[in-house]
Amino acid sequence: MSFFHVNERCNGCLSCVQNCPASALDYSDQENRRKLLHNMSLCARCGNCWRVCPQGAVEFKDLLKGEWDEVATMNLVRCTACGASLYSQELKESLAKKLDYQVETLCPEHRKTNELSVWRRLSPAKAVKGSSDYDYGKPETF
Amino acid sequence: MITGSLKPFDEILSSIERYRNILILSCGSCVTVCLSGGDREARALARDLSAEINDRGSGHSIHVGTIQRQCEIDLLKAFVDIPGETDALLSLACGAGVQSLAEAFCHLPVIPALNTTFLGALDEQGVWREKCQGCGNCILAYTGGICPIARCAKRLLNGPCGGSSKGKCEIGGEVDCAWQLIIDRLKAMDRLDEFETIFPPRDWSTDGTSGPRSMRRTANTP
Repeated sequence: MSFFHVNERCNGCLSCVQNCPASALDYSDQENRRKLLHNMSLCARCGNCWRVCPQGAVEFKDLLKGEWDEVATMNLVRCTACGASLYSQELKESLAKKLDYQVETLCPEHRKTNELSVWRRLSPAKAVKGSSDYDYGKPETF
Repeated sequence: MITGSLKPFDEILSSIERYRNILILSCGSCVTVCLSGGDREARALARDLSAEINDRGSGHSIHVGTIQRQCEIDLLKAFVDIPGETDALLSLACGAGVQSLAEAFCHLPVIPALNTTFLGALDEQGVWREKCQGCGNCILAYTGGICPIARCAKRLLNGPCGGSSKGKCEIGGEVDCAWQLIIDRLKAMDRLDEFETIFPPRDWSTDGTSGPRSMRRTANTP
């Protein structure tokens, strides 16, 4: 997505194209139409186009404060106790694979209130009586 | 790129003491990339200064803004919004940016929050090292692409000096001997014979010692 915008004053003189030091501006003349082209990946945001445009047509502010692009969407895991957002399902699965157990889906606050279960996992020898049958690989539910 | 490092907190704090409404202005170019003067650093500084100032109960207000490049005066004049009550600008840009800011907003005091350090390159994640001193007369073509002006502590044109040990400079630490690097590189390129070429005394007038330098350019036609 390009954040390079020109307003209605652009008359296609191409001074911006001729003066762009990053070769990020180009044009295309096809049939009866002239198109001004911009390549965001080449743009250095130097402002030369804005400086040289005799029409004041380059909306350079849009290159300084552009919109956010959505680049990925994934499922979100929330704290099972309070519903606070934690991390993506994909991150949870990759962590579970690396750690060889399912990570508790609890926020830091509720993790504190469940210290006992965390302690059991980290230090099985010190686990409280009756916990010897604790399954370290089994997902916990609350 | 130009690198910088944040000034000591107490120095920044004392430099803004006499002002009540401060705009911290970060720069979105070099100093953002080297993690010293970008938007995040500006917000962190605003938070720390606010906490300290609030503890003293001196009633300051601190705003934060960012401009893509602080070293271009026309961009500053056109696109920086300065809150009306601002009575000082605290700049997180390099020295060039601070001075452009001062020129653009001549009615406001401009205070640097950064020490501009060097022209460097990213060697590894989070580590920048000086690579260029902008001497205005590049000799990299003859030194294996390694600059003895910037990277040799003695700026020797005909090195090494004899003080290096195991490839490290005698100034200590982990600083590589630039001339050892040059020899290694020339050797790897099978161009070690170039090492025998003696550099004559050079003209240092391009080094900035003859007053401030300037340049005038227009865009090339492709």
